[in-house]
Amino acid sequence: MTAVRSGHPYPTSSVTNNDRSSYLGPRIPPEVEGMTRHLKDLDKDVFRKILKAVVGALEGNDSSESVKVIQETTSVSEEQLSFVISGAYTLLRVAFRQSASTLKQEVFKEDLKELRIPADFIEDFANIVYGNRCPILEDAALRQGNRLPTVEDMRWRVDVAISTSSLSRALQPSILMQMKLSNGESHRFEVPVSKFQELRYNVALLLKEMNDLEKKNILKIQD
Amino acid sequence: MADAEGSKALSGLLNGIAQGRYYGNTEITEELLKTELYPELPQDEFRAVHDKMLGIIKSIVSADMDLNQIEAFLTAQTKKQGGITAEQSLVIAKFWKNHKKKIRESVINQSKWENTLKGLKWRIDVKSQSRHVDQVNSAAAIVEMEIGTKDKDSEFLCIELNETKMNEVLKKLSEVEEGLAALTQTG
Repeated sequence: MTAVRSGHPYPTSSVTNNDRSSYLGPRIPPEVEGMTRHLKDLDKDVFRKILKAVVGALEGNDSSESVKVIQETTSVSEEQLSFVISGAYTLLRVAFRQSASTLKQEVFKEDLKELRIPADFIEDFANIVYGNRCPILEDAALRQGNRLPTVEDMRWRVDVAISTSSLSRALQPSILMQMKLSNGESHRFEVPVSKFQELRYNVALLLKEMNDLEKKNILKIQD
Repeated sequence: MADAEGSKALSGLLNGIAQGRYYGNTEITEELLKTELYPELPQDEFRAVHDKMLGIIKSIVSADMDLNQIEAFLTAQTKKQGGITAEQSLVIAKFWKNHKKKIRESVINQSKWENTLKGLKWRIDVKSQSRHVDQVNSAAAIVEMEIGTKDKDSEFLCIELNETKMNEVLKKLSEVEEGLAALTQTG
């Protein structure tokens, strides 16, 4: 990181610690820079309202209604509103990408100060990133990640075939399973007893392997 | 025909019938069995032997006879007019001893129409990063289930489970297991 910063021909104005690049990356995203220009004459209460809408969007909700309300009830111009929303969105999204332990609060605040964001607004940003809203937002980020469907619900029934066209006394149990997936699909299938044992064995084995994995430290790679 | 040779031919015939009827081997036809095993027998006589053996196999399979039952059944057949010889009864008993389990399984599968779980493959991944999360660091099980019927192409169902989900699934399966155990104990 030091190399990147020292190679930069125009270091940003404040030189409190120029051996570390901003958490936003060596190049500040243009929408964040655009936002700072529009923050100067922004009312604090309006800013909070905007932040609320942005957090809603980060949680995966549709915030267009609340943005409309802000536009109608305050004197903020559409341009100013757009700049602040997109800047705040990027600023928070990038902050949330890193865990609270990787991105320390002081560092975060320092970086925002370097961007010349007013101190009051920095407090508001920090409260969102390090406040109690954090777990909800982290969950939302995880949900938005790319993933395969998972099992939502499983129903089962044990059947016993009594008699069939070619077997007078079958008395053969089998299991009927219905799996509801998180993508809304439902699958129904029969599991013969022998396959059922295989399934159960493998599920137990998987769980054990996952437990073992958690004990090893490879899940705790930190940079 | 010498006894040994006759027994060998009969054993072949019984196996052939089982292959065609229970093991889904469509290449084994009545004509093939005739030319391979009984080339010198006239067609109508072969047909008689074939049908008699088929009838016997069907009775044995349908009742899923155990060792005592088959002995009683075959003894009765040898005493019946136009029944079977003692040598033949030995061959049939031996055939059944070898095929009982597999034939029963196949017959049970013949009466299944639902999609069936055919196979299971899995892998454990460690999720490390995603676009919006720098450190996910959680284990995820990727499970592929092959589901299909015997005549249709299988469908492959790919799902992802974390540890909590896996625990839930295992709990459900334990319930099923209890259900099965209760059945086999009383039955």
